[in-house]
Amino acid sequence: MNDSPLRQARWRDPDPSRCVGWLPAGRVTLADFQRRIGAWQACLDTLAAPGRCYALHDRDPLAFASALLALWERGDSVLLPADDRPETLAGVDALTQARLGDVPGGHRPGTGAAPRWGTLNAGRTALWLYTSGSTGAAKRIPKSFAQLDAELATHRDLWPLEGRLTISQVSHQHIYGLLFAILRPLGEAAPMAGVLCRYPETLHAWLAALDDTGQAELISAPPPLERLPDTLDWPRVRQRLAAVYSSGAPLPAADGQRAHRLLDAPVRELYGSSETGGIAWRDTHRQDDAWTPLPGVAVRADRDDDHLWLHSPYLDTRDWQRQADRIREAADGRFHLLGRADRIAKVGGKRLSLTAMDCALEAAPGVHRARTVVLPDHSGRLGAIVQLDPADIPVEHGARRRRIAALREPLIRAFEPTVIPRAWRFVETWPVNAQGKLTAERVERLFRDRRDPTQPRWLGVDTPGDAHCRVTLEVPERLAHLAGHFPGRPVVPGVVMVQWASDLAREHLGVTGAFSHLERVKFPQLLLPGERVTLALEWHGDTQRLDFRLTGRHGCHASGRMYFRAGDPP
Amino acid sequence: MTTELELELKQLIIDTLELEDVTPEDIDPDEPLFVEGLGLDSIDALELGLALQKRYGIQLEADSEETRRHFANLRTLAALVEARRTQ
Repeated sequence: MNDSPLRQARWRDPDPSRCVGWLPAGRVTLADFQRRIGAWQACLDTLAAPGRCYALHDRDPLAFASALLALWERGDSVLLPADDRPETLAGVDALTQARLGDVPGGHRPGTGAAPRWGTLNAGRTALWLYTSGSTGAAKRIPKSFAQLDAELATHRDLWPLEGRLTISQVSHQHIYGLLFAILRPLGEAAPMAGVLCRYPETLHAWLAALDDTGQAELISAPPPLERLPDTLDWPRVRQRLAAVYSSGAPLPAADGQRAHRLLDAPVRELYGSSETGGIAWRDTHRQDDAWTPLPGVAVRADRDDDHLWLHSPYLDTRDWQRQADRIREAADGRFHLLGRADRIAKVGGKRLSLTAMDCALEAAPGVHRARTVVLPDHSGRLGAIVQLDPADIPVEHGARRRRIAALREPLIRAFEPTVIPRAWRFVETWPVNAQGKLTAERVERLFRDRRDPTQPRWLGVDTPGDAHCRVTLEVPERLAHLAGHFPGRPVVPGVVMVQWASDLAREHLGVTGAFSHLERVKFPQLLLPGERVTLALEWHGDTQRLDFRLTGRHGCHASGRMYFRAGDPP
Repeated sequence: MTTELELELKQLIIDTLELEDVTPEDIDPDEPLFVEGLGLDSIDALELGLALQKRYGIQLEADSEETRRHFANLRTLAALVEARRTQ
C-alpha cells in the first residue's frame, strides 16, 4: 500500500496526540480531528443514507479536510464547486444531495462524535471538480482514488513532507490546492495550518512562531509571491521554510528569484491542469525556464504546430492526448512552454475561458461584438474591446462610467471579481487589419495609453485615402499632462493636442520631416478627461502642410495647420 | 467632506491599481472599495498593502486579516493611515 498515500488512511492511526492542525495559538490533535470527522458523519446521517454526492466548500482547511474524510469513509463522493458565488452553487445543486460547509444553506457538523471507517477502493470516484473548458462551459472532472494516489505518491517520492507543516495560500477547491495543501499532509501524516494564510504579514508571524527546528512548506501561487513586501523582517525567519510551491500560472523569473531570496527556500513550480493532473515541474529559483516531466509522464511536441502531446499515468487513458499548450522539446528530455493555442488565459492566476467572457459580454443589450484579451502590460488583468451601436458609444466620463457599470453588472454575478475586465475600449467599427483580423498589434495599439501616460486612448482609424484620415480618440482620466494646467480643473493643454496631431499624422499618413511651424491655430473648446473626440488629418505633400481638426460633442477643440521640413528625419 | 489625506489616498488607489475610469471625485468615501463599489479584489488588497508601506511606512502586522478590515472603504483606510503612518 506504499504507493497509496490516501488508501493507507493515516488519519485512522491510533496516535491521538499527533498534531494535525497547527496555529500559533494552539494545535488540533488527531484525536480532535477524528471527532470532527465523526461529527460530520453524524450530521450526514441525518441527511441521507451513504452513497450520495455532496457539494463541499469550506475555506478552512481543517473543516474542509474533516468533511472530505467523513464523506469518503461513509461511502459518499464529493463535488467541489469552483467558488462560492450563488450561480456556481445553484449549478451544482442539481447534481448533489446537499451543500456542506461555509456557503449559504451549507450544513455544518455538531459536536464531536466517534468516527466510522469505511473502504476506499482504488476505482471508486473520490471527487469531482471543475475546470474551465475551451468551449466556454466549465467542465466537471471525476478523480478516482487510484488517480489521486498516483499523483500523491509521485509528489511524496520527489519531495517528501517528512512531518513538516503545510501552510497554504491557495484555494483547495481546485486540484493544485487540493493535492498540495490538503491531501498531501493527510496522506503523509503531516500537520497543516488551521486557516488559509492570505497575507505576507500572517506568513511572517507564523514562521516566527515556529521554533528553529520546525520547518514548513508554503503552497502558494504567483499573485501572492509577486507581491511579497521587502519591508518585513524576513532574515528573522530564515530557514523556517523548506520549500515554496507555485502553480496556476507561470511565475516570472524575477519574482521567483525575489521570493527565493526573501523566503530563503527553493521556489518550485508545478505545471498541469485539472484534466491532465501534474505534467512537469521546475526549480524557478535556479533561473532555468525548462520544465522536467514528472516521473512516468512523457511529452512530445507536435511536428506541425508544436502542440504538446501528453502520455500520463494520471490520465484515464493510456493513449497520447493532444493539449492546448505549445512546447519546444529540449535535448535533455525537458521542454519549454511556448504558450497556449486556444482562448484560455490565466487572469490573476485564475484560469478563464476568454470565449465565455466574450459570450457573456455579447449577451448585453447594444453590444455587437466583444473580445476580451489579457492586457499587454504587467498587470495580468483583462481588457475588453467592445463594439457598440454608434448611439450607445459613451462620449464623456460619466456616460463611460455608466456604460461600464452596466456591462459589469451581469459579469459580477457570473465570474470571479479578479477576471472582470479592468480596461474597456469602445469601438464603432471592429478594429481589424487589412486581412480582416484583430491582430495582437492592433490590441497593443488599443491599450498603448496604459503604458505611455502621455498618449491619448486610440480607438480606431478610418483612412479613406492616402492623404487623409480620421482617428477616434479618448482622453484618459490619468493622462500625464492634465495635472497642473488649471488648478482644480483638469483639461488637455493645446500644445498636447498639437503633439497628438503630429504623432498620429506620422503614424497613419507616413508624414516625415521635422516640425517647422504652426498657422491659424485655434482651441475654441476645452477638452476634458474622459471625452471622446475625432481627429481629422489631411496631408498636403506638395507644400508639406498638415491640416488638423479635433472635434467632440461640443464642437471644435483644436484646429490649424502644421508645416514640416521636407526631407529631414522626424 | 473630503480631507486632504482622503484625496491623496484616492489618487494612490487610482495610480497603484491603474484604474482607468475612476477619478478621485468618483470614489465615495463611504462606499465599499472591494467587490461592490470599486470592485477591487484580493490581488488589489496585496498591491494596496505594498503601496501603503512604501508611501506611509505603515507596517501591517501579523494579524493582517484584521488590519485589512480597515480597507473596507476610504474613510476607514484614511483612519488607518492617520493612526499608523510613520512618514
